Amino acid sequence: MGFDFETSLEDIKVFLDEAEENLQVMEAGILRLEQEAEDPEILQEIFRAAHTLKGSSATLGHKKMAEVTHAMENVLDKLRKGRLFAGAAVTDALFASLDLLKIYKEEIATGVDSGVQTGEILVLLNAVAEAGGATGQATTPAAPVAAPKAATSTGAPAPVLPLDLAEEAMLSRGKSEGLTPYALQIQLDPTSAMPAVRAFQTLLAVGDLGQLVRSWPTQEEVEEDRIGKELKLLFLTVQPEAAIRETLAMIPEIAITALQPYLEAAVPETAPTPSVSAAAAIAATPADAPQAAAEGAHAPVSLKGGRNSRTVRVDVDILDNLMNLVGELVIDRTRLLQVLTQLEVERDGDELTQVMSAAVAHIGRMTADLQDQIQRARMLPVETLFRKFPRMVRDTAQIGGKEVDFTILGEETELDRSVIEEIGDPLMHLLRNAVDHGLEGPADRVKAGKSAKGNVRLEAFHEENHIIISVKDDGRGMDPQRIRSSAVRKGLLTEEAAKRLSDEEAINLIWQPGFSTAEKVSEVSGRGVGLDVVHKNIERLNGSVEVFSALGQGTEFRIKLPLTLAIIRSLQVQVAETTYCLPLGAVVETDRIPSDSIQTVRGRQVIIKRGEVIPLIHLMDAFLLEREPGWTLPEELFIVIVTVMNRHYGIVVDNLIGEGDVVIKPLGQFIGDVPGVSGATIMGDGDVAIILDISSLINTVQSEWGKSGLREA
Amino acid sequence: MEEQGQVIQVVVFQLGDELYGADIAVVREVGPMQRVTRVPRTPRYIEGVTNLRGRVIPVIDLRRRLGLPVTAYTKQTRIAVAELEGGQVGMIVDSVKEVLRIPTDAIEPPTGLVSKLDAESITGVAKQADQLIVLLDLAQVLQREDRKVAG
Repeated sequence: MGFDFETSLEDIKVFLDEAEENLQVMEAGILRLEQEAEDPEILQEIFRAAHTLKGSSATLGHKKMAEVTHAMENVLDKLRKGRLFAGAAVTDALFASLDLLKIYKEEIATGVDSGVQTGEILVLLNAVAEAGGATGQATTPAAPVAAPKAATSTGAPAPVLPLDLAEEAMLSRGKSEGLTPYALQIQLDPTSAMPAVRAFQTLLAVGDLGQLVRSWPTQEEVEEDRIGKELKLLFLTVQPEAAIRETLAMIPEIAITALQPYLEAAVPETAPTPSVSAAAAIAATPADAPQAAAEGAHAPVSLKGGRNSRTVRVDVDILDNLMNLVGELVIDRTRLLQVLTQLEVERDGDELTQVMSAAVAHIGRMTADLQDQIQRARMLPVETLFRKFPRMVRDTAQIGGKEVDFTILGEETELDRSVIEEIGDPLMHLLRNAVDHGLEGPADRVKAGKSAKGNVRLEAFHEENHIIISVKDDGRGMDPQRIRSSAVRKGLLTEEAAKRLSDEEAINLIWQPGFSTAEKVSEVSGRGVGLDVVHKNIERLNGSVEVFSALGQGTEFRIKLPLTLAIIRSLQVQVAETTYCLPLGAVVETDRIPSDSIQTVRGRQVIIKRGEVIPLIHLMDAFLLEREPGWTLPEELFIVIVTVMNRHYGIVVDNLIGEGDVVIKPLGQFIGDVPGVSGATIMGDGDVAIILDISSLINTVQSEWGKSGLREA
Repeated sequence: MEEQGQVIQVVVFQLGDELYGADIAVVREVGPMQRVTRVPRTPRYIEGVTNLRGRVIPVIDLRRRLGLPVTAYTKQTRIAVAELEGGQVGMIVDSVKEVLRIPTDAIEPPTGLVSKLDAESITGVAKQADQLIVLLDLAQVLQREDRKVAG
C-alpha cells in the first residue's frame, strides 16, 4: 500500500534509530517486570518508551504502531497505578505487542506493508487491562490528584499572547466551563534531530490534556517543519499543573521554560520569562529561526539544565567516510616519511630537510590522534547488542524446560560498530547452545548437587588491545570421550587418530564442519548452523574463539576481537617480489630455519619445533604462483607460525619485511571472494598489497590436500 | 544503434592491428600503465589490482580477455578505467587513439568479421576512413566468465 509519509528519509532514519532504542528499553523492562516485583521505576521507563514511540509513530503517520503503543500505554498505566498486577498474562501480552511493533518498525524501514493488523493484539491488550479490575475508563489519564494549585510556577507573570476573536471566544467559553487556561512555553533541545516531531508531540500531549487554543508557531507551521527553538501554547484543561508537567516530561528533548495559568492583561507584552543569563543563551544558540519566533518575548534557554545532552546523531556512512579519509592520510604520511628519508640522505640533513622532518613528525602525531578519535567515535557500548539477549535466553529456556539465571557483565564495554553488527549472530548461537545444550534440566542439576536454576553469564571486557566476550555456563560441560567417539562416528577422523588427541584437542573438534554434540536436534539450536560457522564468522572479524570446558562443571567460550575492523596490525612478508600482509592476530612467531631441517611426514613438509609437529605451507604453492625459471630453494627459509583453530602451521615466505598498521580495502565485486585473501591495502609506496585471510588460506590448502584425517602429521 | 542521424562518442583504442571503441559514457578515464599487484587464484586475464588515487580497483588485460596474443607493455600502454555497475574496472590496452564522433548510420551490426569475440560483446562495427572499429559492450566484455555459467 505504501505509506504516506510526509517525512524525509533522514527523519525516518532518526525515527528508526529511536524506535529501536525504545523497543529495546521496553523489552528489557518487561523482562525485568517478569522476573522481579513491580518496580515503579521500571514501569515508568517502559511507559515512557511506549509513549515516545506512540508520539513519533503518530507523527510519521503509522497508525497501527500508534494504536498498539497506545493500548500498551493503557495497560502500563494501570500497572503503574497499581490497578493491575504484572502476571504472566500481562507480560506475555506485552511481549506479543513488542513483537508486533518490531514488525511495524520493519514496515517503516522497508516501506512494505507486512499485512499484519492490530485487531488481535488490541483485543488482547484490552482484555488484559480490563481483567486487572478497576473497570471502565480505558484511556483517560489519571484523575486529578489533589494539589490543584501546585507550587505556583516560577513567579514571573505571563506575557500577553496575541489571540484572534475566535480564540478569545474559545478561551472565555472554556473558562465558563470550569477549565483553567494555561500558558506554556517550551524549549526544544538544540541538538534534537527532529525538533518538529518533538513540537508536534507536545501539541498532541496538550491536546490529550484538554483543549488547545492556539500555539506559536501554529500546528500547520509545525507540521511543515517551520519551527524555531521554542514553542508557545495556550490551552484549557482541568488538570493540575503537576499532571501537566508529568505528561510533558514524557516527551524527550524538550524543556519547559514557563508554565502558568494564563491571566490576560496581567502585564504588558515585554515581560521576559524567568530564566538565566540571556547573553549566554544567545551566544550558545545562533539565531536561525526567523519566522517561528516571530512574535513576542524570546525566552532565553537554560543550557545548564541537564536535559541538553552533549551528543549528536551521526550517519554511519559519514563515520565510514571519515575513517577512509584518515586511511588515505595514513598512507600519505608513510609516503612523506619515505621521501624524507631519501632527502635526508641526498641533502645531508640541511635546514630544509630538518624543517620538513619536524612537519612530517607533527603530521604523524596528528594523523595518529585523528585516527584514534574517529575510531572512538565509531565505538558503541556492547549494551546495544547485549540488550537483545535476555529475551532470547528466556524464550530458549522456556522451550527447553530449563531454568536460567542470566547475568550480563561489562555491557558498557565499547566496540567498533561494525564489529558489533557482525558479532551478534555468533553470540546468539553460543548463548542458545549454552542454554540448550550446556545446561542440564532442573532435575538433573539437583541430582548433580547443583542449584535447580542454571547460570549463564555473558561478559565483555578489555584485554590489551582487544575485547574479550565470554559466554559461560555452569552446566554439564563437554565430555572429550563422547566428542571423540562422535567425531569418529561422523567420519571426521579415524578411531586411531581420535585416540591420539589430547582432551583439549578433542574438545576443539567441535569447531569442525559437520560436528554437533547434540544427540537430538532441538527446536532451538539444531538448525544446521554449526559451531564451525560461528568460528568462521569470528575469524572473519580477525578475531579468535577458544573453548574451555570441564566435565560436570560447565563450559566457557572466549571470543577475542579487535577494537576495529578498518585498520589492522599486520606482518608484511614477501613472496616472489610481491608483498603480502598477514593479520598479526593470527601470528604466533616468526622464525628462520635451515631448509634441510624440513622433514616429510606422509608426503607433507613439516618442521618439529619444541617437540611439536608443525605442517608447512609454502605461500607460493598455496597461491598457485610460479617461480621464475632457475629458482632454487634457498638454504634458509623464513616461516611465520600462525594459529588456526588452535593448531599451528608454518607459512613459508621469501622474506619478512616488518610490521605496520594497514587500512583494509575491499577487492570489489569484480574480483569477488578469493580463498585465502581478505582484501587489499595501499602501502606507503603507493603499491597495492594483498591482505591474507589466514584461516581461509589454511582451510583451502587443507581441503586440497585431501581428506586423510585431521592430523596431517 | 537507434535512430538515423544520431552520433555517438566512442573512445578508440588499439589492440595489435585492430581498433576497438567503447562508449565514452562508460570509459571514465585513461591513464598510463602503472604497477599492478597480482591477486592469487584469479583467472589469468585478471592482471590484478592497482591504486587509483587511493582506491583499489581491479585491472584486466584486455588482450588476454579477448583471446589476442600477449605482448610486452610499451610506453604507449594505457589503463582505461571503465565505470560499471559493480564498480570501476581498469583495462590494459596497447594505446588509446582518440575520441571519435561516429554517426549511428555508419555503424553496421556485428558480422562474421570478428570471430574471436562472442556476438554479445560487440554492439557493432564502424567504418571510419578505411579503418574498421569494433565497438565493444564493456559490460559484457568485463563480465566474469566463470560467473556467467553459475548465474
